[in-house]
Amino acid sequence: MQHLEELKQQIKDKLPELDVVVGWEQGFDPLRATPLFMRKPEDVDRLIWNPLCVHNLATYLTGLKGKKVGVVVKGCDSRSVIQLLQEKLISRDDVTVFGLPCTGVVSIRKINRQLGSLDYVEDVELSEDSITVTSNGQKHAFGLADVAADKCGRCQYHSALLSDAFVGEPLTDQAEDDYADVKAFEEQSEEDKMNHWLDVMDRCVRCYACRNACPMCVCRDHCVAQSRDPHWMTQEDSVQNKWLFQMIHTMHLAGRCTECGECERSCPVSIPLLLLRRKMNKEINELFDYKAGTLIDGKPPLMSFKVEEENINERGW
Amino acid sequence: MTQAPNPYLPAVGTITETIQETPTIKTFRVVLNSEEAMKNFTFHPGQVGQLSVFGTGESTFVINSPPTRMDYLQFSVMRAGEVTAKLHSLSAGDQVGVRAPLGNWFPYEELKGKDIVFVGGGIGMAPLRTLLLYMLDNRSDYGEISVLYGARSPQDMAFQYELPEWLERSDMNTVLTIDAAAEGWEHSVGLIPNVLLEMEPSPKNTVAITCGPPIMIKFTLQALQKLGFKDDQIITTLEKRMKCGVGICGRCNIGGSYVCVDGPVYTYEQLKALPNEL
Amino acid sequence: MADKFVATNELGSWLAALSDQYRTLVPRREGDAVVFQPFEESRPVELDARPTKSPKEAVFPQCEALLTFAYNKNPETPGRVEVAVTEKMGGAPTVVVGGRPCDASGFFTFDRVYDSERVKDLNYLHRREQTLFVSLVCEKPATTCFCNWVGGGPASANGSDALMIPVDGGYVLESLTDSGGKLLEGLSDASDVQTKQAQSVKSAAEEAMDKAPDLSAAQEQLLAHFDDAEFWEEQSGKCISCGTCTYLCPTCYCFNITDEQFGHEGVRLRTWDNCMSSLFTMEASGHNPRPTKAHRLKNRVGHKFSYYPSLHGGNIACCGCGRCIKSCPASVDIRAIVLNAIATPVSQPEG
Repeated sequence: MQHLEELKQQIKDKLPELDVVVGWEQGFDPLRATPLFMRKPEDVDRLIWNPLCVHNLATYLTGLKGKKVGVVVKGCDSRSVIQLLQEKLISRDDVTVFGLPCTGVVSIRKINRQLGSLDYVEDVELSEDSITVTSNGQKHAFGLADVAADKCGRCQYHSALLSDAFVGEPLTDQAEDDYADVKAFEEQSEEDKMNHWLDVMDRCVRCYACRNACPMCVCRDHCVAQSRDPHWMTQEDSVQNKWLFQMIHTMHLAGRCTECGECERSCPVSIPLLLLRRKMNKEINELFDYKAGTLIDGKPPLMSFKVEEENINERGW
Repeated sequence: MTQAPNPYLPAVGTITETIQETPTIKTFRVVLNSEEAMKNFTFHPGQVGQLSVFGTGESTFVINSPPTRMDYLQFSVMRAGEVTAKLHSLSAGDQVGVRAPLGNWFPYEELKGKDIVFVGGGIGMAPLRTLLLYMLDNRSDYGEISVLYGARSPQDMAFQYELPEWLERSDMNTVLTIDAAAEGWEHSVGLIPNVLLEMEPSPKNTVAITCGPPIMIKFTLQALQKLGFKDDQIITTLEKRMKCGVGICGRCNIGGSYVCVDGPVYTYEQLKALPNEL
Repeated sequence: MADKFVATNELGSWLAALSDQYRTLVPRREGDAVVFQPFEESRPVELDARPTKSPKEAVFPQCEALLTFAYNKNPETPGRVEVAVTEKMGGAPTVVVGGRPCDASGFFTFDRVYDSERVKDLNYLHRREQTLFVSLVCEKPATTCFCNWVGGGPASANGSDALMIPVDGGYVLESLTDSGGKLLEGLSDASDVQTKQAQSVKSAAEEAMDKAPDLSAAQEQLLAHFDDAEFWEEQSGKCISCGTCTYLCPTCYCFNITDEQFGHEGVRLRTWDNCMSSLFTMEASGHNPRPTKAHRLKNRVGHKFSYYPSLHGGNIACCGCGRCIKSCPASVDIRAIVLNAIATPVSQPEG
């Protein structure tokens, strides 16, 4: 995109004061970007910025604690940075945010569904509203809107909400998010809903990619899924254990999940995890009128206390 | 179908006696329930076993009784995590699983005719004890034997019921030391490496065998080198998180060396050749 | 045995016949992933897209019981508690249809470790001896395929009992072992035209592979970089320390042993373990020999391309399937790491 050179310059300008800046570069094939850790000016020349930059780089911030880190963020990513700051999991002084306006990223899975396989991608051309993938000698053109990640279609924060350097023109148009996908799922019978989750969780391999890719999941090695004290789960690969882990994972994100979707994107066996978190967020939104990571001085509702809650009528009088 | 012993199947044994050595170290004397298994059990000094409490898990301990005294198998356990805490709650009559012997052993054949210096710190005395007692039971095979055993305080010394005997024996030289002076303590005071330098063991035809906390080993090594001990004259035994104990599960390796197979006994010369991943 | 042929629309009935005698595992689409599951006539088999998971589970399940135990009071002395321990061994005649040649060859990495003179892992062997592989030949490599870097190939017979080659209208099946031949007995012979087409599919696949780089320096170079913290921090920066690469890998064989107790009974489990997790080598004292993800990635790559080859006659513990690259959430590329280790001069210590 046109602001790439300006972004590179901004990063190069700040690089001397920083230990590392995290961005994206071209990955192992034309369709895949991959996180880039820039330490020297030559590293910055490898930076890319386009709809293939799907990774939420905020997930690396807690692991780099103590270092002066720069991070390049889209709108959704910046929410994670804000949420991490609200919870004091990172220090504002240690993070330099390079904010970008974003019109959406591609869902690699949607392209996979169209092509049947991503094994033979030879070339990718991007324009302002389309992506053309050459695979096995054949060109396939898609409108970006058709293969964008689901989250982009309902994005209310196209521009990074927090930045030390904002590159580009802020985008103001917002989509609607009325949690239609969650409501549609809720209409199903209890039995159908449960069977759906037991069915999809069966292929889980307990790799914890969902947990490790999530910027808010900081427990990592102390996670209850692997803990023997408390001992809530066994190492059996039964669907009950896997489902319990996912439930706990979702609950621990209540009021904290910024719906970046990395959990679902990272899952190697494509379990539709985002739906669970969106259900959680719908409840939080209705109860507390709160969306995680949108206000820099916001207080996560489950980390604060109010004597009288606006939407919870405990005493009935 | 392949026929071979199942490497994961433990023998079931009964704890015949427990000894609270220190607030954190407890010794267990175990007899295998099968008389035949106990009779046929052979091992070399330095080998370890996976001791388990069924329902809690397995953990690695050296068999610190020598093969010359087979009334029981002795394990001394320092309480550190889940399995060791559970073991500490057991008493005589309780059942444990024993998967042993595993790993390599002290080169007691090659040590014949040499003078031996044992340097043990805290629980590190446990693996040294098995070789020491073996040598005492085969006394004429070995030259001068010296033991330097140190702990933080008198309460942290293990095997206290045996120390008087070691001190009294004329065919070995025993020095006990604690970190700081304590009331009623009649023996040396000082950190192990410093006391070792005072002892000034000669490296001539001598092998030093040391085990203890990592920091103690580090400084003891320096002291031994200062005294003129070459790398192949220093032997130690390593600890690692182990699971299978037979070199398969891929966990206890230092580079290409599996501590449960190529170790836990290593000479310092061998350790230096390994990648820095202790 | 002459080559056999099965038409695409007859595949189901052949697999159904196999299912009568064997646990028959085939690739199947679930969501956007392709996983191995027991064949079901009502659910289509996916033979075009490469499987996401490897068929490793057929021989080495993610979780299996090594033994069960039960505590009981001694009837003569009620104050005493006894424990009865029962050995557990699983396995049933199994055939995996539709894995790729790389998947089948992955088990050689296991065999060298699990079936040695020093120790035999009976749980593994009981399944290994009863599992057959009918491997689908790849028509062309994926951008992430590098089987020929590590001694494999798209039509390699190494490790399979039969090969399945896509031709017009179906598949030609080539028997490689006696057991493989038994699987193909009910099928009709392939015609000369079909046999010829199968041969040209195989040659074309081999020709389509890019020339493999020389990896002979990897064993030494990876060890030479062992103390180069900066190198490994760079290589591991984007890794998120999950278990995707490990669990999808056909050659990753590390495992954990844990006890689970329910009341007076319980089980000792063997489960896949993941060397990318910091818990892998965490000691009870709190000391961890591999405290950072840089240490752990160095161990994983070092083990596969250096330590294992040095212990097992130069054989690399990797089959080049590329799953770790494709499925990694951050697109960590093990090929790049190995090539970087070979190409980067070892930094000399100062002074």
